[in-house]
Amino acid sequence: MINVDGLTKTFRMDNYEISAVDDVQLNVQPGEFILIFGRSGCGKSTLLGMLAGLIRPTKGVVRVHGVDIAHLSDDDVSGLRAKEIGFVFQFSGLLSTLTVLENVLLPTLFCTYSPSSGLRALELLEKVGVLDRADAYPHTLSSGEMKRVAIARALINGPALLIADEPTGDLDVDTEFEIMELFRQLNHEGTTIVMVTHNPDLVPYGTQSYYMERGKIVGKPKTSSCENLDLKSVSHLTTRDLT
Amino acid sequence: MKKKMSFQSFIIAGIRNKPGRNLATAFCFAFIAANIFSGQYLIAGAVGSVNQGVSRMGADFIVAPIEYTVLLRGSGPENTFAIVKTLPTVWRMNNNRMDTIGNVQGVIGISPQLYVATINASELSSLPVDIFGFDPETDFTIQPWLRQPLKNPLSQGEVIVGHQITGDILSKVQVSNRSYTIAGRLDPTQSAADTTIFMGLDDAYSLAQTEGVVPLSAPRISRGDINAVLVRIQPGEDPDPIGARIRRSFPPSQVTVIGRHFTLDPISQDIQGLPGLLKIISLVIVVATFPLIALIAAMVTHERQREIGLIRSMGAKRNVIFSLVIVESLFLAAIGGIAGVAASLIAFLLLNTTGILNSALQVSFRQPAVADTGYMAGIALFVVIAIGGIASLVPAYTSSRMNPYDAIRGEDR
Ligand SMILES: Nc1ncnc2c1ncn2[C@@H]1O[C@H](COP(=O)(O)OP(=O)(O)OP(=O)(O)O)[C@@H](O)[C@H]1O
Ligand SMILES: [Mg+2]
Repeated sequence: MINVDGLTKTFRMDNYEISAVDDVQLNVQPGEFILIFGRSGCGKSTLLGMLAGLIRPTKGVVRVHGVDIAHLSDDDVSGLRAKEIGFVFQFSGLLSTLTVLENVLLPTLFCTYSPSSGLRALELLEKVGVLDRADAYPHTLSSGEMKRVAIARALINGPALLIADEPTGDLDVDTEFEIMELFRQLNHEGTTIVMVTHNPDLVPYGTQSYYMERGKIVGKPKTSSCENLDLKSVSHLTTRDLT
Repeated sequence: MKKKMSFQSFIIAGIRNKPGRNLATAFCFAFIAANIFSGQYLIAGAVGSVNQGVSRMGADFIVAPIEYTVLLRGSGPENTFAIVKTLPTVWRMNNNRMDTIGNVQGVIGISPQLYVATINASELSSLPVDIFGFDPETDFTIQPWLRQPLKNPLSQGEVIVGHQITGDILSKVQVSNRSYTIAGRLDPTQSAADTTIFMGLDDAYSLAQTEGVVPLSAPRISRGDINAVLVRIQPGEDPDPIGARIRRSFPPSQVTVIGRHFTLDPISQDIQGLPGLLKIISLVIVVATFPLIALIAAMVTHERQREIGLIRSMGAKRNVIFSLVIVESLFLAAIGGIAGVAASLIAFLLLNTTGILNSALQVSFRQPAVADTGYMAGIALFVVIAIGGIASLVPAYTSSRMNPYDAIRGEDR
């Protein structure tokens, strides 16, 4: 489904360069659930942005369904995003001027119109457990509720690929569990998922896990050597996943 | 609960839920619209008043039996004298002399007037009321003073009354047991016309036959008698030679030809210059406000970077973003424009009824007709909406070109 080769993103500042993503290779098969770990600033968000065509790579290719999106026109990438990719940002990313329901329905504006999207939005809100807040404005929601709404919004157009950047970042364990169960269910229903997280406890959810460091995928957490991991992650990983 | 999303509802939600920034933008548009509209409205009102003033200047000459000489005071612009009607005298002449005057070179209009009688009728006025006959078809001195134009040409049994005569339009007035319908009322002339009832010559002759109307001391009025002929000459012609030609067309010492002792041209030229000045002021203000609007549009777009980045990440194409920014601006321009026009219209109506407008403008302000007002409002709206569209072109373009991820990162995370 996604085929990444030699993917590089360099941010040029006034007098120095940041190599946010550096020569990354990655293969995602349809139906996979990919987890990406890594310290803050190692380039995870930048990588996800490039997978969704939101960030233009400095070098390398991102093929989605065999098409190199780096060389597609902006409109074609937008069309691909609208139909095929649901994106959950690290921050909530809701529009403050729209209600929860309107936020969820917003992406339908950029896709072919379907009369059933109203019902689908309500179903999704029910699925993520915020149906009762459908008419609320985002500023009245807790950050967990915002995340759920953002997830519902990412799913409204029925994307084949869901990209989620720390969707459970600042949530309590129970909410995190609920969302991960939702993701698992979606994955079973056929949605391919690429997700960034800091929580090594989530490794069992993934069909594949990768660890990033300074812009590179340096290995899979299960097999990677311990010095590549940050200390917090290591403690979790050793207790749970290396046993 | 609304279960559909449309671009309209998206734009409207954005406007409704961010009142601050949108009010500022709409206010600017309102300001421009108000300016353009007021400029036109003032021009139209002032020009209308000048045109009315010119038409109310009355006759250039009055040709009457040699026995009398008269000028009537009127309240045209600058309180000059306007010959609206002749003095109530009993010296008459026959209307067969009218052709002679009409044939004089330079004369473009003639109209006869007949003084019938003066009556005392407390139900009509506390002052004595003059009854005059005139010819509604050729008249050019009385009807320009009408407050409201007549619905139909004055017909038999209908009268035009001066400002101080009591009675509503379409109500009846009694003169010596004869009943007449009030078809029109004059604006104040500050002359004897204010206490005069004007009727068609035929009605005047019949009334004159009625017992007790014309005092026994006065000579009888027979059909064809008139007191004077009011004369209008070709505008811009020197009146003196024309007056002399009229006099020479009669045997010596038969008629007197009295001229008006002022011209309107210098005043009207002053006021005719007004439109140009107001247009320049309007233009300056529009040009000055344009950068302001463009600045606000750019600021709003900057503030909305995150929003734009987000909907781009949901798959909105560049032209969608471009149109959204433009349409929103057009929408605000339309709202602001309507508000601005409405506010100025209300202000003008208030100023006009309180008389402030007249004294501030130094010319009498004549409220433009509804259709003209609508036309001017349309122009103001059109200009404002055009400005809204043009000013948002650059922000619309830059927003649509913005990299979505950078736009989102620009703000909260
Ligand atoms: N637009 C940009 N301009 C300049 N530098 C950038 C930009 N975006 C990212 N970076 C830099 O690239 C690096 C990787 O950033 P990225 O956001 O991908 O990290 P991350 O792994 O998602 O971190 P976190 O876990 O904190 O979200 C960081 O050093 C960041 O400062
Ligand atoms: Mg990140």
